[in-house]
Amino acid sequence: MKSQHVLNFLLGIYIFIFFSYLFGPLIIMSITAFNSAEFPAITPWECFSWRWFSEGKIAYDGQHLAGLSTDWRLHDGLISSLIIGFGVVCLSVPIGLAASIVLTQVHSRLRTLFYSVSIMPVLFPGVIIGISTVVLWDRIATIGGDGLISDLGRNGIFLTILGQTCFISTYCFLIFVARLQRFDQTQEEAALDLGASQTQVFFKILIPYLRPAIASSAVIAFLASFENYNTTVFSILSDQTLTTVIASKVRLGISPAISALALVIILLTLIAAITYEILKRREDKKKKERQDLLLFEETQDSRLKREMKGSFRMPKSIFLVLALIVVGLFGFNQLVKNGLYGSECVKAAEIAKKSKFSDQLKLLQQNVGTVDEKSLKAGELGGTKDYNNIFGDPNLFKNFGGLDNKSPNNSSNLFSID
Amino acid sequence: MKYFFDKNGPLVSTYFIIAIIFWLVFLIIIPQLYMLDLSFRPNLPPLLRGGPDDVHTLIHYKHFVFGSETNTERFNYVDIGVFFNTILTAIFVTIINLCFCYPIAFYMAKVATPNTSRLLIVSLIIPFWINELLRSFALRILFAGEGVINNILLGTGLIDTGINFIAMDIALYTGLTYAYILLMIFPLYNAIESLDINQLEAAKDLGSSPFRTHWRIVIPHAKAGIASGCTMVFMLTAGALATPVVLSSPNTYWFTQLIYQWFNMNDNWSRGSAYSILLLTISVVFVLLMMRLFKVKIGEIIK
Repeated sequence: MKSQHVLNFLLGIYIFIFFSYLFGPLIIMSITAFNSAEFPAITPWECFSWRWFSEGKIAYDGQHLAGLSTDWRLHDGLISSLIIGFGVVCLSVPIGLAASIVLTQVHSRLRTLFYSVSIMPVLFPGVIIGISTVVLWDRIATIGGDGLISDLGRNGIFLTILGQTCFISTYCFLIFVARLQRFDQTQEEAALDLGASQTQVFFKILIPYLRPAIASSAVIAFLASFENYNTTVFSILSDQTLTTVIASKVRLGISPAISALALVIILLTLIAAITYEILKRREDKKKKERQDLLLFEETQDSRLKREMKGSFRMPKSIFLVLALIVVGLFGFNQLVKNGLYGSECVKAAEIAKKSKFSDQLKLLQQNVGTVDEKSLKAGELGGTKDYNNIFGDPNLFKNFGGLDNKSPNNSSNLFSID
Repeated sequence: MKYFFDKNGPLVSTYFIIAIIFWLVFLIIIPQLYMLDLSFRPNLPPLLRGGPDDVHTLIHYKHFVFGSETNTERFNYVDIGVFFNTILTAIFVTIINLCFCYPIAFYMAKVATPNTSRLLIVSLIIPFWINELLRSFALRILFAGEGVINNILLGTGLIDTGINFIAMDIALYTGLTYAYILLMIFPLYNAIESLDINQLEAAKDLGSSPFRTHWRIVIPHAKAGIASGCTMVFMLTAGALATPVVLSSPNTYWFTQLIYQWFNMNDNWSRGSAYSILLLTISVVFVLLMMRLFKVKIGEIIK
């Protein structure tokens, strides 16, 4: 028994580590969205600010670092992502529906082949689906000459819809197959016996039965389309979606505006998840109450009734929420106390940075004045001994804002993907 | 065929046939076949296509093996190296994921109460609704030269100089493990959940150690789940583009990045297609291998 306790304890620790591995990076990223410094970090904490959600900032060296609400690239990308998501839902849900119903009707030998071909796109790397769509449609556009076909074949949004539909249809297909497995065929037969036509059976029986699956596959199709990168990056051609914009931003100079965007997405996800969970629990509870009522009516046992009445309990999650609020208040209090919040703090930090920058500049100018011709020829100048190791100071370049990808630690790939 | 029309009525049948042909033929089969064909053709400017130079050739596959004509070395070590590095890393990531997820999946399926396990499932799903790029970005904040981990380590005095996690590819491996962990947990969870708990208790009563119970009962039962999880994770890792773009070091390439380079930077579509075919081949080989190894059908792998 004791070893069982130890085992459970270790398992608990393991689960804790696992979930902190899952959530830790996201939480830290969310916190960096509130740091007013140009580089997303926690430890050189400058000021608490909302600037990355609103207008962003213009660094003193003239570089514009856009915030969420002012970044037109993100807005354009978001719009085309929404269009693509809508298009993909419109195509892939009907396709998945048709394929899953036909799967129940074909002969068993053909069925295996049909099923294998249908699920193949999930096994293809997304990159390959994107490439194959692009090369095929480029060829079609070339053959088709001028006009509609050629325009379509070179339209990034159209190609992306087709490429994503290729594998998202499989997701829908699998959802419908799972739902259809529990379908009672006798319902169809009953409707036919009562004189319904085939078309009526489809619309009056099959579609209403599949409605939950249609809803969930539409949601999944939209989400999958919205966050797809691998296929989109090839098939989008010269257009931009939200993910490709994020990708180019992440690579070009990493800015806290991306943290802010991530935080918004995380919050939306959380709200959706919590709403779903509450709705589900309410439904479960209702079902349980109904069952209890039935049981009570059957047994006429007064004991059950009493238990049902006193069933209000405090949900445990309330403690978690309370703890979060306390931690948040405490942290905010600390921020205010140390003068790390508000516009004055931001101003002070700007001034400090500016003066540091001008100090470095002065030092450089001084050194220019004292250039010694002889040592210039000998190649002794320009090293760290003349400039007090300012090039070795990573803070200098970090605070320029935007130049950070030039420092060796943060340099990104040689390939530039944008 | 007539039976099909009779069963569904003319309107619905037409819709079925159009939808399925559009999907299977126009979206799945023809693009792949055309890409395969393109991979055997030389890279020509649009005007010369279809002309006398447009013949089938193995030039792109030769380039992958032997390198360009000016290459002095015997083989194209760079590309082959990237290819095998990608595959080996993907296998490594898959194994790590399997070891990581097995205890959690077992806990959720058999140890935890239903309410706890549902809560765990919801909290597992939440991080995976967030874009893969943003998740990699979060890891990048952690692992950057001035990032959180380095600062903590420096602050506690464990190390004197910052560790360059990105150049050492630690960030990349962590990111890849992080990215597809959900696709390992759910197949495992589903497989283990269907195991009858009486079997576990019987094993315990008969004096089996926990390790032996897992080895002899749980793992054989969860075979299909393991195969499915491993296949999905391997496929997605080998074909990943977003995570390597954000997290890989300047001197490590992922094979998909190589494809991207040929395709978009160098505008050599046919060579990009040839490299894609290589990636596709290795994926298919891996799926067949998993099906052989675990003796499962393809339908069981994808659920």
